[in-house]
Amino acid sequence: MKNLKKIFILAAIATLALVITACGQDDAPAAGAGTGAAGGATGGTAATTDTGAAGGGAVLSPDNPRTINAWIVTQEMAPAPDNRISALLADRLGVTINYMLVTPEQQDQQVGVMLAGGDIPELVGSTDAQARLVQGGALLRLDPFLDSGDFPLLYQHIAPYRTRLSWNGGGVEDGFYQFPNYNRFYGDPPIMGPTWWGTAFWMQKAVAEWHGFPNMDNLDLYRYFDMIEEYMLANPTIDGMPTIGFTFPVSGRIWGLLNPPLFLAGHPNNGGVMVFDGQAQIYANSEWAERYFRILNDVNARGLLDPETFTQTLDQYFAKLASGRVLGMHDQRWGFGVAYDALVANEQFERTWFATVPTFDGIEPWYADRDVMNINQGFGIGVNAEDPEMLMTFLETLISPEWQIILSWGEEGIDYFVDANGRFYRNDEQRANANDLNWRTSNRLMALFDQLPKIQGTLPDGNAFSPGDQPEEFQVGLSDYNRFFLEQMGKNTWREFLNDPPDNPPYFPAWQISPPDGSAAQVAASQMDDAAMQFLPPAIMGPVDQFDANWAAYIAQFDLIDVAAFEAVITEGIQERIALFGN
Amino acid sequence: MSAVTTKSNKQEKKGGKLKAILAQWQLLMMSVPMFLYIIVFAYVPLLGWVMAFQNFRPRVGANIFQQVATSEWVGFGHFITLLDTSALIGQRFMRAVVNTLGQSILSLALGFFFTILLSLMLNEVRQIGVKRIIQNFLYLPHFLSWVIVAGLVSTALALPDSGGFINNALLAVGIIHEPIHFLANPNYFWGIVAGSMLWKNLGWNTIIYMAAMTAIDPALYEAASIDGANRYHKAWHVTLPSIRSTIVILLIMNVGWLLTSGFEIQWFLGHGVNITRSENIDIFVLRYGLEMNNFGLATAAGILRTGVAILMLTAANFIAKLLGQETLF
Repeated sequence: MKNLKKIFILAAIATLALVITACGQDDAPAAGAGTGAAGGATGGTAATTDTGAAGGGAVLSPDNPRTINAWIVTQEMAPAPDNRISALLADRLGVTINYMLVTPEQQDQQVGVMLAGGDIPELVGSTDAQARLVQGGALLRLDPFLDSGDFPLLYQHIAPYRTRLSWNGGGVEDGFYQFPNYNRFYGDPPIMGPTWWGTAFWMQKAVAEWHGFPNMDNLDLYRYFDMIEEYMLANPTIDGMPTIGFTFPVSGRIWGLLNPPLFLAGHPNNGGVMVFDGQAQIYANSEWAERYFRILNDVNARGLLDPETFTQTLDQYFAKLASGRVLGMHDQRWGFGVAYDALVANEQFERTWFATVPTFDGIEPWYADRDVMNINQGFGIGVNAEDPEMLMTFLETLISPEWQIILSWGEEGIDYFVDANGRFYRNDEQRANANDLNWRTSNRLMALFDQLPKIQGTLPDGNAFSPGDQPEEFQVGLSDYNRFFLEQMGKNTWREFLNDPPDNPPYFPAWQISPPDGSAAQVAASQMDDAAMQFLPPAIMGPVDQFDANWAAYIAQFDLIDVAAFEAVITEGIQERIALFGN
Repeated sequence: MSAVTTKSNKQEKKGGKLKAILAQWQLLMMSVPMFLYIIVFAYVPLLGWVMAFQNFRPRVGANIFQQVATSEWVGFGHFITLLDTSALIGQRFMRAVVNTLGQSILSLALGFFFTILLSLMLNEVRQIGVKRIIQNFLYLPHFLSWVIVAGLVSTALALPDSGGFINNALLAVGIIHEPIHFLANPNYFWGIVAGSMLWKNLGWNTIIYMAAMTAIDPALYEAASIDGANRYHKAWHVTLPSIRSTIVILLIMNVGWLLTSGFEIQWFLGHGVNITRSENIDIFVLRYGLEMNNFGLATAAGILRTGVAILMLTAANFIAKLLGQETLF
């Protein structure tokens, strides 16, 4: 008994000791990491100037294996452990990437957690979260590296657009923080892809075929839905599943619900606002919006609208699209790429979609704009990164044409061939592989590449950057059905289904301007979205005769929201851009 | 828990406290880790409440003290924002409070009733082996993550085309003639929350009652049998009164949690369409605090919640005392 008691006491003391030391240990590395990070940051800049003087950058080699923690916002899947390109990175550069993939709908919380925890990954690849990350102090200012002369390719990549790409929104030192992920084009003129990746009202090819390939110019929205309805009545099921007439993404992509009035009114994609003479004006409560949502209400009453539109998750939405039974949707082409590719991989070409550009009152459509650089998306370097020099070297290495070709085309002889004239081409198997989502996880680094800086347009050797953009590849790569479809519709490329875009206004696009954290405008933006999510679904899904009352309830919300603050911030951003980039 | 421990220590001997402490120093030593645990994880974080009176926005690069020192002070501004129901944020916060209470009261009521019922039923199973097997099956859902449960629930409640077997069953039996879109109608949401919680935790929560029931003196049952009581009589007149103190204590403790109605199920199943009934305080705090980097507002909401929870707990305890029941303190 006495012994037992002693054992208890010893155990108790041991526990106590453990607790105390555990606390101590917890504190120690935290503090260490903090100072280490601060030291690392200052050390990093010091090193830059040092090595800048010496004229050498960090060297990546397999003799010196490194792991890079990359946080990436993307819809792409993580690469498989046996990924061929991952192995290539390890063999040639000694780099292993530790992926943290975040879907777009989770980005906001993740950024919040990141800022609050102060634990910033080495590479931060984000979409539209630049203001939060930069003002939250999460990203490293990269100007010292760019100006050091050690990174000529990255320097040349951003040099013509440096003002545009640099942060000047306050909170931190002005400067360059993030490399754009898309639409920095090379070549004169650059090879523009045959695919339009932006917004449209998409229509399943089978619908147009069923209607005898009608001319889709000057389409109005009523006709769009009529075409879908007629097809749907004739084909109530597709592959045994009920046909879905129309749907759009909502979860995490509320623009799927909110943006159409903008395009129907003939405006380009400025996000939540229409711009008149440099003044931003919301349209969520406008007559354009009322007209569009009244049509949706009618479409719903006709049984065309998917009843789960507002409750489905993004994944459920993709699953429906990939099943081939969705006849129409409002979305951006990149947004449903996964589903499109799945149908292609399944050779259900007639179930994929082509773009239509309906407007109200015969207004000239402006769906397609000149591709704009994503100035607020892409990779930045975490502020506590121990070796920013190495990370810059990594990005510099990967933007070299050699690696860009590997990332975009693959490996020569395996993924593509080069003909006598130096033109890249692929055989059928290679083309099919590239469309196969499973194959990609083992043979492509889709997630990493999604956020990396790219030399889009024309490669230095004259080939197109992206296999799908290589003109001869596009023609050869067209499936029989797609070739037939294009022929019947009288078009050469998918882009030709859209309007011919005029020059972009200098401030364009206004959706890149986001209100700063904690501003009344930010609260207003969120409240407008919340009002839409709360009041529009009942208005759209409700009885037709109650639409007016439901719409009035929605409009009444705007009296409580500080819309003026939101418009003022966006207008200010537009004016700033006009002043910076000229008219 | 610690409150109970100190109380029993206190009751041992009134005179000669020091002597008593010396006599049981080993026991006291054993409670030190728990005590430290509470200090470190329950009291030290209270320092963070200072954020409620500031426009606090986390920034990478400065330590927490520097961040607090350099943040702008706003007094009770955030509290006023939350409680001012003439503005949209105040209205939303109030709605979040109502939803939290609605969801948790419904969960508590359903949970209590069915847990006790199930415990009584299990108690009547005579075959120990069978009872063990049933119990183990009942515990299983408790170990599923909420992510999985939310996935199951959302599929179960979906439309028949998307695999909604509840709709299928209701249609087959003829209770409904049109499938119900459960997740699109806000009025179902409190019930969905309560139902999911019940499904997940019902079995697990019987443990404590089962433990209390094993402590009942078998002589009481024998006496009741001699008086001619059948099984229902015994359950009603012997078992239930014997576990009454357990029920009351659990009830009081749960009242303290009424302003916490969970987070995961609302987060996974809540969306714009049912937001009027799904957004509870936790979701509100996440959306207006974390997602907008507005930690001041989030902390103020947390303080309000804690304050009200303490009041409610005290009130429940007081009522129990008035009714002559076992109390927490």
